[in-house]
Amino acid sequence: MKCARCLLQLQCLRLVGQSARSAAQHGALLRSTSSSQPDMLHNTQVLRRFHGSPACAKRRPVPAEFINEDDKKRDKSLVTHDDLFEQVAKEVKTKATFNKVVDVFIKRDIRRRGHVEFIYAALKKMPEFGVERDLVVYNKLLDVFPKEVFVPRNFIQRMFNHYPRQQECGVQLLEQMENYGIMPNMETKVLLVQIFGEKGHPMRKYQRIMYWFPKFKHINPFPVPQQLPEDPVDLARFSLTRIANDLDAKVTVYQTHIHPDLCSFSLFSFLPVLTPGIQSPSQMQLLAQHSPSRPVFVEGPFPLWLRKTCVYYYVLRADPTPPDEKVEEPFDPERCLAFPLQLDLDLDRDFGDEESFDVEDLDEGPVFAMCMTSQGDQAVLNQWISGLQQNNPILGQVPTLFRLDAGPRELQGPADTESAHQHRTDPGPQREERQPEEDEEPRRSQGAKW
Amino acid sequence: MSLPKISLPSVRLLSSIHHHQQQLLLPSTSPLTGPKRAVSQGEYRRPGQPKVDKFPWQPINFGFSKGFDGVKKHLALLKKEFSDRWVGPQGKPILEHMLEQNQVLWEFRGPESLEQWTVSSDQEIGGQSEVHLKLGKNQNTCLLYGTLSSTPPRDGETRYSGYCTMRSKQPLASFDRKKHYDWSSFNTLHLRVRGDGRPWMINIATETYFSHQKDDIYNYFLYTRGGPYWQDVKIPFSKFFITHRGRIQDDQHPLWLDKVNTIGFTLGDKADGPFQLEIDFVGVCKDYAHTEEFAYEVYKRNPEI
Repeated sequence: MKCARCLLQLQCLRLVGQSARSAAQHGALLRSTSSSQPDMLHNTQVLRRFHGSPACAKRRPVPAEFINEDDKKRDKSLVTHDDLFEQVAKEVKTKATFNKVVDVFIKRDIRRRGHVEFIYAALKKMPEFGVERDLVVYNKLLDVFPKEVFVPRNFIQRMFNHYPRQQECGVQLLEQMENYGIMPNMETKVLLVQIFGEKGHPMRKYQRIMYWFPKFKHINPFPVPQQLPEDPVDLARFSLTRIANDLDAKVTVYQTHIHPDLCSFSLFSFLPVLTPGIQSPSQMQLLAQHSPSRPVFVEGPFPLWLRKTCVYYYVLRADPTPPDEKVEEPFDPERCLAFPLQLDLDLDRDFGDEESFDVEDLDEGPVFAMCMTSQGDQAVLNQWISGLQQNNPILGQVPTLFRLDAGPRELQGPADTESAHQHRTDPGPQREERQPEEDEEPRRSQGAKW
Repeated sequence: MSLPKISLPSVRLLSSIHHHQQQLLLPSTSPLTGPKRAVSQGEYRRPGQPKVDKFPWQPINFGFSKGFDGVKKHLALLKKEFSDRWVGPQGKPILEHMLEQNQVLWEFRGPESLEQWTVSSDQEIGGQSEVHLKLGKNQNTCLLYGTLSSTPPRDGETRYSGYCTMRSKQPLASFDRKKHYDWSSFNTLHLRVRGDGRPWMINIATETYFSHQKDDIYNYFLYTRGGPYWQDVKIPFSKFFITHRGRIQDDQHPLWLDKVNTIGFTLGDKADGPFQLEIDFVGVCKDYAHTEEFAYEVYKRNPEI
C-alpha cells in the first residue's frame, strides 16, 4: 500500500509540474491508481453501514496531489467547498474532469465528511463544466450522499424532519434539475429512496416534478427544440417558417457579395452573405394587388427569441389601404367546392352566437415578405428586394423606403409617415435608387444582375 | 443571532417552520422605537427590502386639494353605482348580462387605459431588469418592453432573479372600496398579443378570505410565436393552476370566477436581453364547446406521513 502511495505521489507531482494535461490522461491515471487500491472500498460503497468502524479506516488512501494543499489550507470557514474544483479549474473543464472530482471526493472518505458542502459547491460549478443538463451527472452527485443513514427509522424521526440539512441539500439538487428542465429517471428515484426514504422532502419534491413536468412538457404550441441548428441559414429557415404563420410559405436564400472596396474587412469580402427570406403565395397575391403609387416599407430589425438566442428579422410591408380605396372583392363561390365560403342564415328563433369581440379591428397593413439576417445593412436588404422582384415584378415600380431602427420595435402604422428620417425616392423605370434612412456611407446601387 | 445565512440557502419548501424561527430569533428592540408591523399585514419581509420603520398613519397624505377632488370623484362614482342598479346587474341590462358571450375587459385605446396597469420588475429586490409600459403606435395597443437581467442581487439570501411583470390594478368602487370582476358567465380568456417568441405567464389573483391565501395566484403559460402577425390566444380558465408565492401547490382546485381581482403578465425565462410584448386587448368569452371543469387532479396526491 505504501508503495502504491509513493507511486501516486510521484506521478502526481509530475502532473502538477506540467501545465497542460488532457482530461483523458487524468482519467486514465486515476483509474490505474485506483485499481491498485484495496477492493473493499469500492464494491460496498452503496450498502455500507457507517455506524460500525470499517476495517480499513486507517488505510484510507488520499490521492497525493491533494495531500499538500489540503494540509496547508485548512480553513474553517462556512463557505462552499470549492477547493477541489478550483484545482481542477486549471485544466480543461469537461464532464470527465467533473466526474473525476466527484470520484476523488467519494474515495477520499468512507464517511463522506463534508458531503453537503461538496454537493452545494458541485451544483454551483456545474454550469462552468457544461454538465448542468446531464442527468447522469446529477445521479452521480446524488450518489455522493451516504446511503441509509438519513432514512428515518421510527415515527418520531419521521415527524421531526430527520437530518434537515441533508434533506435541504437533496431538495436543492432536485431544484436545480427542475430549473434546467431535466426529467429525473428511475435511478434518481431509487437513489432518493435509498438515501432519504420514501417520506422525506426530496422524495416529495421528486414526486412533484414527476407529476407536473409531463403535464407541461408539450403545452407550447410553437415548440422550439433544445438543440437549435448551428448553421445561421438553417436557424433562419426554422425561425422564418415559425413566424410566417403559413404552411405554404417558401424560404429562399439570397446571396450578396459585398464589394471589396465597401467592406472594411478584406478577409470577408469574397464570402457571400446569405440572406434567407420567406414569402407565401397569399403574400405574393397581396403584393400584386398593391397599388404602385403607394410605397412599401422595409422595417426592422425586429427581435425574435428562441430559448436563449435572439435573431433579428426584417419585414416588407405597406400601410393599410385607406377605406375609400378599399375594393371589396366578392366571394368567388368556385374557389372552394367542398363547402360554401359564405353562409347567410336567418335564424329567427335563436339569439345566435356572438363570436366576435366588441373591439375595433386593428388594420396594420399587409405584410409582404420577411427576411432574416444578422447584418442589416443596405447591401443585404437591397439584394433581398431585388431577389423578391423576380417573383413580384411590381416591386420594380413601387418606391421602397427603409426604416431601420434599433430599440423596442413595433410595426409602424399609417399615422407615422411624417417621421423626420424618411427620404422619398424617385421611382426609376428599371433600377430604383434606395436611399438609406440612417446616415450611412453612400453605397452603390445593387442593380447588378447575377 | 438568527440562523446562519451563508451555509443554509434560503429555505422555500420548509418555509413555514423557518420563517417563524427567524422571526422569533430577531434581536429585540426597545418598545419606544418604530412600530412592528401588525400580524394582519403579515410577517414576511421580502428579501432585500429594508424594514419600514414608520407609524401606520405617517405615509397618508392629508392635503386639502386632494380631499376636495377626492370627494367629487367618489360622490360621482357613488351616484353612478346607484343609477346602475336600476339598469341591471353591473350596469348592463339583464338580457345583455345573461346572453353576452364575449366581454372586452381591457383595450388600450388611449393613455388613460395605461393608468389601470402597474409594472414592476426585480429592481424591487435589487435586481437589474428594467420594464416600461407605453402606448404603441396609433394609440391602439400597449407595448410592454424592457430588459431582463438574471444576475441575482447581492444580498446574501436571494438566489434567483430576473423577472418583469405587468399587473392590472384592482377595480375600485366609490370611496376606494374594492370591487371584483365577475366572470362567472365566461369560461375562456381571450388575448390578442404580439410577442417576440418569449414564454410569458398569466397570473390571475382572486379575492380570498384567509390571510394565508393572500399570495395565491392562478397561473398559466402564454407562449408567443413572435413575428409580425398578431396572435389570438384562448386559454380556458380550467387550465389555470394555483401557486403560492411562485411555488405550485399540491392541493389544486379550479379558479373561482365570481370574484377576480387582478390579472397580470410575468416574464421570467432566464434569457437575458431585451423583450417586448404588445397587447391589443384582453377579453373573456364563453366557449360552449369547452366542457372541462378542471385540468388537474383534485384528490389528495401527497398524503401525509
